[in-house]
Amino acid sequence: MTGEKKFSNKNILIAVDESENARRAVFYVAELLGGIEGFEVTILHVIPLPEEDFFPTASEKEKWLSQYRVKIDAMLEGYRQILIAAGFHPNAVSVRSPTRYCPSMAECILAERDEREYGTIVVGRQGLSRTEEFIFGSISSKIVTHARNCTVWVVE
Amino acid sequence: MTEYLSQNDLREMTSRWLPPHKIPCRFRVHRDTTEFFRVEYDDVVVLGGQTYLIRHNAKELRFGLEDEVKFWVKRAIDLTDGSLKILKLVFRERFVANIGDIEFECLRSPRKEARILNLVADSPNFMHGFSVEDERGNLVRVLDFIKGDPLSSHVQRMDIDHQTYFYQFFPDVLDHFMDCLRAIYFLHEHGEKHGDIRRDHLLVDSDSGHYRWIDFDINYRHRENIYGYDLFGLGNVLVFLVGKGDLLLRDLKKQGHPALSTLDEEDLNMVFNNRVVNLKKIYPYIPDSLNRVLMHFSKGTTWFYENTAQLLEDLEELRNAA
Repeated sequence: MTGEKKFSNKNILIAVDESENARRAVFYVAELLGGIEGFEVTILHVIPLPEEDFFPTASEKEKWLSQYRVKIDAMLEGYRQILIAAGFHPNAVSVRSPTRYCPSMAECILAERDEREYGTIVVGRQGLSRTEEFIFGSISSKIVTHARNCTVWVVE
Repeated sequence: MTEYLSQNDLREMTSRWLPPHKIPCRFRVHRDTTEFFRVEYDDVVVLGGQTYLIRHNAKELRFGLEDEVKFWVKRAIDLTDGSLKILKLVFRERFVANIGDIEFECLRSPRKEARILNLVADSPNFMHGFSVEDERGNLVRVLDFIKGDPLSSHVQRMDIDHQTYFYQFFPDVLDHFMDCLRAIYFLHEHGEKHGDIRRDHLLVDSDSGHYRWIDFDINYRHRENIYGYDLFGLGNVLVFLVGKGDLLLRDLKKQGHPALSTLDEEDLNMVFNNRVVNLKKIYPYIPDSLNRVLMHFSKGTTWFYENTAQLLEDLEELRNAA
């Protein structure tokens, strides 16, 4: 344990998408920690680099990506406003939407966590069936299994 | 510049490979394969300066039903050297696949298959070929014909009881299948998916004896785990090979199999609930170590393989211990 890096637990990462589960995760943090000083929150949406096979041309892909970014920026700002309305200082809430190659979304989220040293990851549970989890995987389950040196909150 | 081919030229080229009575009176030549329904038997397709005489459309067996004709996939003879080829013309298909009650978007991608053909050119466990654009820019894949049957037929046709199969033939089958797993691992390590792993997409090459993956033009929108659907396919094939075929509940009922009363829901395939995965209950001589691997694909599992490396590791361990 000696020398092992510990991240401050007041630095929180909420991994979101457009789902109701993600929204619940944001509201949970807002209700629990809104108005309490010292906490800094980053709302993260990792944009998975789209596979070229799904687009007839490179320019179609770029067009899709820029439209998607506009949509995500609006989503993230909406989540940010939820936290500010709950009492977080505007300077304490930031948003991130990096584009990454993502064979595993959970690994991409954990990579973000490692790079920026968050002490807590918050994620909404997707409510997948066992079959879906079996074939397509579960982001929250994988984060819980693979996260190290941090706390994980899975919001139902 | 497109080289002009006269009817005499084509007749002469064809006569090198076909007996006189099979040579068409007149050849229709296609340099644009966009309308693949119009490319028919005895037509000629010219691609990248090479000339191919079209034979039958390929067919695919679907779960024991009548063969489905794939009009965009043509058998052909390369008129340069007489070799048998498969020409996969461009069919831009998007569809929603169903696995149990899960729906996910799939598409047929010539570009994907062309990319993988380049990647696996040196691997004995994949079909080989190259891609070339026709006059309209359609990306046609020209594949070397593999002489051999699907692995599923190869295994099911063995006219022996399961115990004999398991002790005398399955070790070799497993070794070959593990080569195929390593091949899929190679794909995954290079950021590619097979996309349509099925027991009839593995052919037993009768010339080399290798098991070879075919038909990797399907791509699917993955969710958390890009390789999950491939892994699911690999698990299904493995269970099939261990069982020397599917073990269906209805067949066990018909036979009045004594093990039937010992089976419960957790012993069945996660998705195909009529298939038994806990094969040790039917064939008690299956080692626990192997059965444990199979059970990771059952409804009762509490842990799923996340990647091909984990599945390979478990199989290598039990194979080395044998």
